[in-house]
Amino acid sequence: MGWFSRLRASLGVSPHAGTFDEEARFHLEQRIADYIANGMSPDQARREARVRFGSMTTARERTYDADTVPWLRELAHDLRHAVRRLRRHPAASAATIAILAVGIGANAALFTVVDQLLLRDLPVAAPERLVLFNWLEGRTSMRVGMDGVRTTDDTTGRQTSTSFSYPTYLHLRGSSHEVAELFAFHPIQQLNVVVNGLAEVASGQYVSGSYFSGLGVQPRYGRLLADADDRADAAPVATITHAYWQRRFAGDPGVIGRAVLLNRIPFTIVGVTPPGFAGALDVTRSPDFTVPFASEPLLQGARSDLRRPAFLWVHVMGRLRDGVSAERVAATLGAPLQQAMLAEWHEAMAADPERAGREQPRTLADGSTLRVEPGQQGLMDTRRRYVQPLALLTACAVIVLLVTCLNVATLQLARGMARQREIATRLALGVGRGRLVRQLVVESLVIAMAGSAGGLILAQWGADALLIWSPFGGPIQVDTSLNWRVLAFGAATALGTALLFGLVPAWRTTRTDLVRGTRQRGGSAPPFARPLIAAQVALSLVLLVAAGLFVGTARNLRAVDPGFDPERLLLFRVQPQSNGYQSDRIGALYAQMAERIEALPGVRSVAVSRHALLGFSRRADSLVLEPQVSDAGAEVNVVSPGYFETLRIPLLLGRGFTARDDVAAPPVAIVNRTFADRYFGGGSPIGQRFWFGTVKDGAPTEIVGMARDAKYADLRSQTQPTVYIPVAQDLPGQASVAVRTTGDPLELVGPVRRAVAGLDDRLPIFDVRSQRAQAIEVIARETAFARLSALLGGIAVLLVAIGLYGVLAYGVVRRTAEIGVRMALGARRTQVVAMMMKDALLTTVVGVGLGIPVTLIAAQAARDVLADLLFGIEVGPVVLAMGSVLLVMVAVLAAVRPALDASRVNPIEALRVD
Amino acid sequence: MVLRVKKVDALQGTLDMLVLKTLSLGSQHGYGVAAHVQQISGDLLRVEEGSLYPALHRMEQAGWIAAEWQVTENNRRARYYSLTRAGRKRLGEEEAKWRRLTLGVDRVLGIG
Repeated sequence: MGWFSRLRASLGVSPHAGTFDEEARFHLEQRIADYIANGMSPDQARREARVRFGSMTTARERTYDADTVPWLRELAHDLRHAVRRLRRHPAASAATIAILAVGIGANAALFTVVDQLLLRDLPVAAPERLVLFNWLEGRTSMRVGMDGVRTTDDTTGRQTSTSFSYPTYLHLRGSSHEVAELFAFHPIQQLNVVVNGLAEVASGQYVSGSYFSGLGVQPRYGRLLADADDRADAAPVATITHAYWQRRFAGDPGVIGRAVLLNRIPFTIVGVTPPGFAGALDVTRSPDFTVPFASEPLLQGARSDLRRPAFLWVHVMGRLRDGVSAERVAATLGAPLQQAMLAEWHEAMAADPERAGREQPRTLADGSTLRVEPGQQGLMDTRRRYVQPLALLTACAVIVLLVTCLNVATLQLARGMARQREIATRLALGVGRGRLVRQLVVESLVIAMAGSAGGLILAQWGADALLIWSPFGGPIQVDTSLNWRVLAFGAATALGTALLFGLVPAWRTTRTDLVRGTRQRGGSAPPFARPLIAAQVALSLVLLVAAGLFVGTARNLRAVDPGFDPERLLLFRVQPQSNGYQSDRIGALYAQMAERIEALPGVRSVAVSRHALLGFSRRADSLVLEPQVSDAGAEVNVVSPGYFETLRIPLLLGRGFTARDDVAAPPVAIVNRTFADRYFGGGSPIGQRFWFGTVKDGAPTEIVGMARDAKYADLRSQTQPTVYIPVAQDLPGQASVAVRTTGDPLELVGPVRRAVAGLDDRLPIFDVRSQRAQAIEVIARETAFARLSALLGGIAVLLVAIGLYGVLAYGVVRRTAEIGVRMALGARRTQVVAMMMKDALLTTVVGVGLGIPVTLIAAQAARDVLADLLFGIEVGPVVLAMGSVLLVMVAVLAAVRPALDASRVNPIEALRVD
Repeated sequence: MVLRVKKVDALQGTLDMLVLKTLSLGSQHGYGVAAHVQQISGDLLRVEEGSLYPALHRMEQAGWIAAEWQVTENNRRARYYSLTRAGRKRLGEEEAKWRRLTLGVDRVLGIG
């Protein structure tokens, strides 16, 4: 018999089942006919024949035993049995499944996010053949500048980064043809885009001509970029992502060949990348436009980095040729990297003799070491920052799952005890204990599978919610739909939890004394129930303390005085420099923009500054002060004359900026109070002078005013010495505009857009939002952690309450007789209530006692990430006490109902039971 | 005393041998096999239904016997079993084994 029919037969779909039945029927009829022929009455004959045949089911099963895989058949039987049992107690089963669904759902939601952010490979052909290059700094650095992430290598303590100069990339590529196909890319934060006459800001990236062939990506429509597009004389072309194509062009195939303006330069769209592909940048970034490196000088103009020697900014990846290892690539390209770096260093020093005079001479040996690492996930720089917060959240979710398992174990134990008679009877009838344990575990497995299915549904919703709450401080777009890894995770979790919550109760329930088991009905709470509840209490305390810490952090941050008035302020950004504005015109543009917007009804005043407040961005500079102060420095913002009035930052001393503080006038500055306190001992800073940089070089800047302290990049950081300088004296190529309104700031979005378009309809405004929204976003991560931890803590506490209630209520039923005796012997109702309460409180207090050291150990393990996340609160007696008191209160609430029920036991009726 | 012949009997294979022997006399349905054994043994042996059909199915799977649906004299559909070549060989082996066994047992009991 084939394995397939054996499998089918095992699951009860035997091809022979009908055969046996017909044969057996014939057999019985023959026997009956014989009996009647021998003189029996038909009725008697029928009865006798049936008795003689014995169990039809057993005979049928034994007949087809040979056709089946016995353990599988038993499993199928156990499964049917389990489903039948669960359907017999629908309410209890649904509750158990719901509890598990919540626990598994929280974990699956997090796993979905972890999977997308940290585990997923790039959606390209054979991603395992991709490598990502980085360098490990030698004795000293050989760079003159950098636009990229540089970190300290864990093992060597030396600097490392994935950014290279473009000339270095070309040199490496020239040496690599036999071992790998190299390609390079670099993100563009904001591109000013004009599509169909509408100006907007999009994201983008520069790529080498070998990018798409190296990654192994095919176009969805049109064609992708090739080497021929990456030449200085090639016509400017771009590809767009599938997502941008859908969003901006509604999936119109006619987009191929369409002209768009990128930073005012006409580009032709030649292709659309496949859905799901967003490049090899960090998974959170999806560059709308991809353009060749050759177009960088067009887009950046004089600020082009393409030919700059020793300026590190492009990421380099490669696809290994067949049979070539990453080690061989590293060996092949190690020397070319050092040659290129040294040559570029010399070139850079030749162009900057002043710096060359200060620098030590470099040799080839100073060059960085090339490292070749797996590249199947693309860049990981920013993703690494999510690791710790995600680990923390995952730990919380795992604790919830543990509480869930303990909780369900408690419930199973109680149900198991209620089945004690049935089980004892079956044991007495000779059913093997192993078989019984397995049957109970299968029952748990069915519950767990159902819970897991529910959990995966919850996870879909949960993962989206998780990302909307942006626990990582900014918006992240990832695909949270189900995939096989999430499904596998769900199945594995179900199996794990079933074993966790199923084995102990099954073991305990079947270890029953046959004689006592069939008779006994007394006894109090199920054995193990109290330790299980205490463990839940202990774990819940960890979650409650975490919730207390994060909720406290969010509350503290909201209570921080920003030092300015964030209400009724509209913010937006512009970057005229990208559209080719030169300094003189930028100043005029800002002035005209302010003038036009100020003229709108509902606008009080307008301010232009380089950096918005609470926007995570700031400028910091070294300063030289007239009375020498070592290591002097300040945070710097460039602001227009109306700034302090518009933001409502009070001027404490001196004057504000005016239109006369322009490029022709002597440099002036306004400082904040912290600046005056730090550098002038609290004395008046007015009239003091300083220089930017590290040397007294050029005209000094004179301090003409002092403003009250205000928060700058975020709410968390201590206010630093801050210098404001007038916009006309240091024109920024991009700026944030703040509009103080009389009413709802968002009502002015349309008028403001039209006012700016009236000045230049190719200049998009972006990041349009109220300052209030900006202030909410700046604490988004903390808010998300507060909500998530409160949610998880709440779930845990609710589960503890359910578990405690269940066990106590069960205890009341089991102890009815005992309580009856006590009351008959003169115990008062209050004494009965006290007895029950004591039971609940003792369990809880033991749990809290266990939980405190567990919490402290957990806090110690997570101290780094906590130090990063917490604000104005720490793990200490206050938070621990609050969590403990809350748990005790919950225990009391959960115990009230069972305790009152116990006190209402009628002694006479109670004693009549059994 | 009636001997009940079951699969779990100490004398494993006895039932198989009885069935094969019965079928060697001509094809027969399950009830017929049971009735034949009981009748020929003079009511000393009784084949249990709970064992007969599993045995028939097992031997069919093993290829010792073949089965087909036929119509009885009184026009009822019944499953008739007949001996195959392999079954005939098996019967010979079983009979030889049985003879050796009974011979040995008889000698021990001092009957032979």
